[in-house]
Amino acid sequence: MKRAFLLEMTIFRDYARQLVGLGLLVSLCIGLGMQTPLAMPATLTCMFFMMSAMGLAAYDQLSHWELFRLTLPLSRRDVVLGRYAAIVAFGLTGTVVGVVAALVATAVVSAVGLPGEVGEAFAFDPDMLAVMAVVTCFTLLIGAVVASVVTPLYFRLGQTRATQILPTAIVLLFVVPVVILGNSGMLDGGIPGMELVSAALEALDTPAGMAAGCVVLVALSAAALAISAAISLKLYERREL
Amino acid sequence: MSGSLIEARGLTKHYDGFSLEGVNLTVNEGEVVGFIGQNGAGKSTTIKALLGLFPTDGGASSVLGVPSDELSRASGAAVKEQVGVVFDAISLPEHLKVSDVGRIYGRTYVTWDAHRFEQLTAEFGLDAKKTVKSLSRGMGMKLSLACALAHDARLLILDEATAGLDPMARDEVLDLLRDFVAEPGRAILMSSHITSDLERIADRIVCIDAGRIVFDLPKDVITDEMGVARCRVADLEKIAAAGVIPDAELRYLRHDYGIDVLVPDRFAFAENFPEIPVDRMTIDDYMTLTLKGGVR
Repeated sequence: MKRAFLLEMTIFRDYARQLVGLGLLVSLCIGLGMQTPLAMPATLTCMFFMMSAMGLAAYDQLSHWELFRLTLPLSRRDVVLGRYAAIVAFGLTGTVVGVVAALVATAVVSAVGLPGEVGEAFAFDPDMLAVMAVVTCFTLLIGAVVASVVTPLYFRLGQTRATQILPTAIVLLFVVPVVILGNSGMLDGGIPGMELVSAALEALDTPAGMAAGCVVLVALSAAALAISAAISLKLYERREL
Repeated sequence: MSGSLIEARGLTKHYDGFSLEGVNLTVNEGEVVGFIGQNGAGKSTTIKALLGLFPTDGGASSVLGVPSDELSRASGAAVKEQVGVVFDAISLPEHLKVSDVGRIYGRTYVTWDAHRFEQLTAEFGLDAKKTVKSLSRGMGMKLSLACALAHDARLLILDEATAGLDPMARDEVLDLLRDFVAEPGRAILMSSHITSDLERIADRIVCIDAGRIVFDLPKDVITDEMGVARCRVADLEKIAAAGVIPDAELRYLRHDYGIDVLVPDRFAFAENFPEIPVDRMTIDDYMTLTLKGGVR
């Protein structure tokens, strides 16, 4: 698996560099636009998970690389696990880049001494770091779920066909259930378990709750990726290249 | 370890409109086996089946003693360290530089020899800073060959690897392949439409047509023993009547100016029919007579 991971990292390196530059710019724009550095690492985490899942798959069908890769001393299992390891590595790179951008922006604004709301919003506040961690973990979950949905499709169908059916798959998975539930009257008596969600959100107001929330969100992200990897292994094992 | 580096028995694979039908193929130590056939005859499909790139419907095959269907599994992937593969077009992501390709192979093969790779790329005139996309087809094939030759492989599987190379580059590559196979325990399976290359390097020629192996002969039998008799219609009747060539083996091909007849032993034929000109057989002639010729 390590070889496949290093292979992915080498192939994706140039695109990742561009992604880091783009990510920094997007992150700064979001920070300044929202007048808070809070969402900077969160945005980049989600963005890097999604873009690495799609970007890595984009190389597979170029020049029959996907086929030729299996003539190298790699198993299909190595290829799948290497891909997930690379997605996680790039996703977490997004987190690091976002945190660094947020800290640099905070330091620059503090050093320059901007007046008004922007100055206040970018002033260093230890409490903000905890909130930033929770928000980032939440977008980590979103990014991981998206990567978990698209990656098995890429492994099963190849990038070209998967890209064609992805919009349909996303509508079926994420939009249709909401529309059906919303119009079915099933939610008229309130969403089941809503009290539990409210209690969980209240608990996030405390430092211990925030820490627990981060752990749960990271664990859910890891579980989504692990289940997705298991599905991809099954699908890719039988794929006729 | 047995003397066979590649062994296929009854390899079968069905697609819509095409099937591999019971392909038998062996590549022994020290051999260069030329794999020929028309476009779409099944050469690349056979090679991909041997490499375990898709499941087959029947038969069995192995590469370096490992069943082909194990090659893409954890249990068999390691044996591919000893196999160098070149497809008919460069199969690497286009944005990579030549130096990146070396880095990728270095991270993938335990036995990667970076010095050898640099030496080969320099010999082939490949600039380390150039991207794969900017290479011509011929230069791309040279890069693929440099990769295949730089990790101490025992077996090379080359699918149209000399296509796109200029005659001088082909000479250079054939010399490298000759040196490669001269080392003990090594072998090459080489599919090609450039049969003149195979005449210079191959020990055995295997021809596939419509998914079936139609002949598997030592190259010297074709090029040194056989011949093509350039006949008139009356000559064909005379040859048939003489019984020198059994009727079932008397292959011929009519063309505008006469009839070409396949002669199994051109020296014996020349003694029996001194008035009929007989030329040395080429692999192309033999393939054409076998695939398109008639039998009396």
